[in-house]
Amino acid sequence: MKIFNYFGNYFSNRETFQEIIVIPVFATLLAIFLGLLLLIVSGSSNEIALKALIALFYGSFGSISSISETLTAATPLIFAALGIAVGFKAGLFNIGAEGQIILGGMAAVIIGFSFQLPFFIHLILILLVGALFGALYAFISGWLKATTGAHEVITTIMLNLIAYRLLDFFLRIPSIQKEGRNDPISKSILDTAELPRILYFLDPNLRVHMGFLIAIFAVLIVYWLIFYTTIGYEFRAVGKNLEASRYSGISPSMTIILAMSIAGLLAGLAGASQIAGVLGRATPGFSAGIGFDAIAVALLGRAHPIGVLFAGILFGALIAGGRQMQVSADVSLDLITVIQALIIIFIAAPVLIRKLFPWIFR
Amino acid sequence: MYFKKFLKISSGAFAGVLLMTINSANAFTACQVTDVGGVDDKSFNQTAWKGVQDAVAKHGIDSKLLESKSETDYEPHLNSMVNAGCDVIIAVGFLMGEATKNAAEANKDSKFTIIDFAYDPTVPNILGQVFATDQAAFLAGYVSAGVSKTGIVGTFGGINIPPVTGFMDGFAWGVKHYNKVKGKNVQVLGWDPDAKEGLFTNNFDSTDDGKAFAQNLYDEGADIVMPVAGPVGLGSASLADELGSDKLKIIGVDGDWTQTDPARKSVYLTSVLKKMDVTVLSVIESVKSGSYSGGVTVGTLENGGVGIAPYHDLSSEVSSELASEVEALRKGIISGSIVMNK
Amino acid sequence: MKLHEISKSFGPVKANSNINLTVDRGEILGLLGENGAGKTTLMNILTGLYKPDSGKILIDNQLREFHNPREANKNGVGMVHQHFMLVPVFSVTENIILGEEPTKRFNKIDLENAKNKVLKISSEYKLDVDPDQIIEKLPVGIQQRVEIIKILFRDAEILIFDEPTAVLTPQEVVEFFEIIKNLKKTGKAIIFITHKLHEVLEICDRINVLRRGKIVGEEYPKKTDKKKLAELMVGRTVNLRTSRKKMEQGEVLLEVNGLSILSDNKEYVLSNVDLKLHKNEILGIAGVQGNGQTELVEALTGLRSVSSGKISYFGKEYKNFSPRKIHQLGVRHIPEDRQKQGLIGEFSLTENSILNTYYEEEFSYNITLNWTNAKIEAKKIIEKFDVRTNSENISANKLSGGNQQKLLIGREMSRSINLLIASQPTRGVDVGSIEYIHNQIVFARNKGIGVILNSTELEEIIALSDRIIVLFEGKVIAEFPSDTDPNIIGLAMAGEN
Repeated sequence: MKIFNYFGNYFSNRETFQEIIVIPVFATLLAIFLGLLLLIVSGSSNEIALKALIALFYGSFGSISSISETLTAATPLIFAALGIAVGFKAGLFNIGAEGQIILGGMAAVIIGFSFQLPFFIHLILILLVGALFGALYAFISGWLKATTGAHEVITTIMLNLIAYRLLDFFLRIPSIQKEGRNDPISKSILDTAELPRILYFLDPNLRVHMGFLIAIFAVLIVYWLIFYTTIGYEFRAVGKNLEASRYSGISPSMTIILAMSIAGLLAGLAGASQIAGVLGRATPGFSAGIGFDAIAVALLGRAHPIGVLFAGILFGALIAGGRQMQVSADVSLDLITVIQALIIIFIAAPVLIRKLFPWIFR
Repeated sequence: MYFKKFLKISSGAFAGVLLMTINSANAFTACQVTDVGGVDDKSFNQTAWKGVQDAVAKHGIDSKLLESKSETDYEPHLNSMVNAGCDVIIAVGFLMGEATKNAAEANKDSKFTIIDFAYDPTVPNILGQVFATDQAAFLAGYVSAGVSKTGIVGTFGGINIPPVTGFMDGFAWGVKHYNKVKGKNVQVLGWDPDAKEGLFTNNFDSTDDGKAFAQNLYDEGADIVMPVAGPVGLGSASLADELGSDKLKIIGVDGDWTQTDPARKSVYLTSVLKKMDVTVLSVIESVKSGSYSGGVTVGTLENGGVGIAPYHDLSSEVSSELASEVEALRKGIISGSIVMNK
Repeated sequence: MKLHEISKSFGPVKANSNINLTVDRGEILGLLGENGAGKTTLMNILTGLYKPDSGKILIDNQLREFHNPREANKNGVGMVHQHFMLVPVFSVTENIILGEEPTKRFNKIDLENAKNKVLKISSEYKLDVDPDQIIEKLPVGIQQRVEIIKILFRDAEILIFDEPTAVLTPQEVVEFFEIIKNLKKTGKAIIFITHKLHEVLEICDRINVLRRGKIVGEEYPKKTDKKKLAELMVGRTVNLRTSRKKMEQGEVLLEVNGLSILSDNKEYVLSNVDLKLHKNEILGIAGVQGNGQTELVEALTGLRSVSSGKISYFGKEYKNFSPRKIHQLGVRHIPEDRQKQGLIGEFSLTENSILNTYYEEEFSYNITLNWTNAKIEAKKIIEKFDVRTNSENISANKLSGGNQQKLLIGREMSRSINLLIASQPTRGVDVGSIEYIHNQIVFARNKGIGVILNSTELEEIIALSDRIIVLFEGKVIAEFPSDTDPNIIGLAMAGEN
């Protein structure tokens, strides 16, 4: 009951509900509608547009394997977007999730193939070290901002570029590079370091893995951290009003460094879970732009942990559904990119949604 | 157990209803999963897709396509094709080797074929298509050495993997052979076939890189460049187009670039052909007729799986002696009288 | 000009209901009202920002409708806002023509002509403004004149002033009143919005009092007094003069010796300041805004590092200490800008209630916050300090200015307190709340607390302080006992000793 009271503080609030659920839902529906309209305008038949729409839903939620694919794609997005949301709460715009994912994933790979450890311990270690390296990498940006005032947008973008090159470099080190290959590809992690597939008992091909459960757990932890701890209180105070937080005795520098590091920690977990749950090895493109998609997810989730969870699943659904769309309706995957972009536009302009659907906000 | 069964049945039924509306998968269907370059890369993805389309035109089959946006897409894309009930799944590219093997082992009833990957030992439901592109590139290298005015030619690759470096090996060997026969000293920049090291863009999609790498080679004195990185080479071609073909010539790879990129056809000396469209078509036909079996097929000069394109606009640059020497080399390689790496 | 039966509602809130208002040429109409009484809404309707739900606006007996400020301008209605709308790096002339740039051929701006017109207006109304000066180099009083020229430039016949004296020194106020009188002589109609009672009595020909969206009274300066006006405004009897019995100074709580602060651009914003604060004492710091008061308060509360000098609290010297450490000494700080420093607008009242105590045992266990106790604290402040709200869960920026300030003061004064540093405690607060806040400050002082009161309102300083020091250009240039003639203090504030 107590928890419910607390919860009511933040969520039973009508406005928060609109912010986090209603606007994103309508933004998404509108974006899908416009995406299909674009399809028809560009010369596809109505039938194909309908097929694409059905495929989009079928491919994302229509079967156990679609749901599995949706959640698999959602997992790293949720982790990284949670990190970005923590940054948002503290007034930081962390563009560097991509780099942090790379560092976290890279560290996870190295841990994954170089140690012979029992199953559970190895798994814990690979995740912890991945998170640690993500955090360390983000710490650099936080530290630079706190001590020199260097803007985190600039430093994280630069660190992303450095991370790409670091990855190229690491993948060519003989002790990391896969035996017998000249191209940049790492050794594979051992079975003991893999995140088990949680629907293995239904069908071994269902890829959704334990990382998704950990992601949900992370959502709860971050929710608690932001709204029920002094640390989260400090983050939000610094994010909303730097002057007032200084007045209240909070050290903005320490807060910025800590917030950035936690953001990196979560992005690092995204990288580690991707390695341990899906890929099993690192290649130059293993981060696959997840760090950038996660920015969109964090925005769509209005930087609220619960919002991020749903937004992450939605983006995962777009990825899985988009695949089905290309297979069965022969519609290019680029349409998904268009829909994602439209969603972000509508989220960035909530007034537009309020104007278009006045009846839902009455 | 009951639960498991229930899930399977209910989801299966639901899927069935939906699939009927979205999949008209009753006809024979050939499905392709492309690599990250995209299906319109004017290079290997496109060439392979042409094979599928030829099959569609010739036999009236259905086709499906999935373009990979990143390496993380390979596995789910291949699985999607399996679920879509494809009769044959064509994986384009060496990098998909592992993912294809995993998918094939998990779905033993599906038939796969992969371009540029040969499994050892072979997998019963994958037919690997590899190409002796070094044979064709050898000819291109020989021609280049003969045509170059600066005495320097260059090459660069996408990623340091065998299907790429095969071109570069052959090219360098061809130049070396020319030097040996003619007593010249034409240099090759960008690839050392013995150390297996050279220039790589580390991607298959940045035309900016293609331009920059070609510019570097040109600055070092090269007047003929062979980019082996799919659409990246188009960037090199645009540099050659700006400089003029007297300053810089390009050698295309995979397809005949004078055909795929006619706007700049004057810069292409020749192209090293890797006729994936032909092999893809024949694999589809073999599946259709029931003669498909896993293993490896190798495209060579002898069976026409590889070759070099005509000189087209730049044929005036290639003297008739040089052209006939190349033709003699071709026969020599087929007969085995010429060993390339010597 | 005549307003007839103007009404405007925002949702269930009636901001203006059936307001009738007239102002004639050559007349100064005072519009008096508390914050939230509907003054701003009414003026926004007049200047075309809002459309009234019902009612008519008549100018020279002709029905007018404005859809935007530009249309209002064209019809001769101009407004000088409380916060100036000037571009600091532009010259006077450039600012004046902004938005209506006169052009020569090829769209070139005709600065020469504009400048002549500015000069003409300036001399006609004795405004004495140099059209080529850059705004940021001008004192606030002159900037206000630039605003006046700006609306005269657009041929305004009806001039509306929103709290025009809030930012001026006493001398500037005198000069400003002269200007208004000149404008009146030339036949302009003037609406003067304020909540300062003595000003309307001094300058206006007629006074309308607004309360809860309604005109509740019309008075004439000669037939009324402050007390009556205040009662009309607040709707109940108001005690204007806070009663303050004399008290003996106690021991020294705070001592500052030779305090100097260098600003970022290497100028002394505070030089060699000495001061002492005793128990049972309210020390008023008078001065025109921007003479080092902000920096002094920031230094005392640990928000700004000190270049040289000593600060001792309770007999012990503290060097570059953190705001939290000072807070832990029982030094409470009411910052001058509640929205920028004192409160977090998007935080709920509960969250704001623990802004500088959230880490204390009462509100957190390790890192877990105790929202139950925080809520109790919020409710306590709301009740004890009369914060008008229906829930402690709404965000602070939904409260009116006065209620925000009461929440802030409540938070600072409800817990153990040894010393209070209050900056502009009643800025932008309505009369009813001012009375309440003043009483709380005096009450605290009577209990044995030392108070530093930093205010640009001389009236407030005089009403509350036991001792007054004047800051001018970063130096303490004078010290006065509380019963000094305001004019003498006013002169000191202007730097004349």
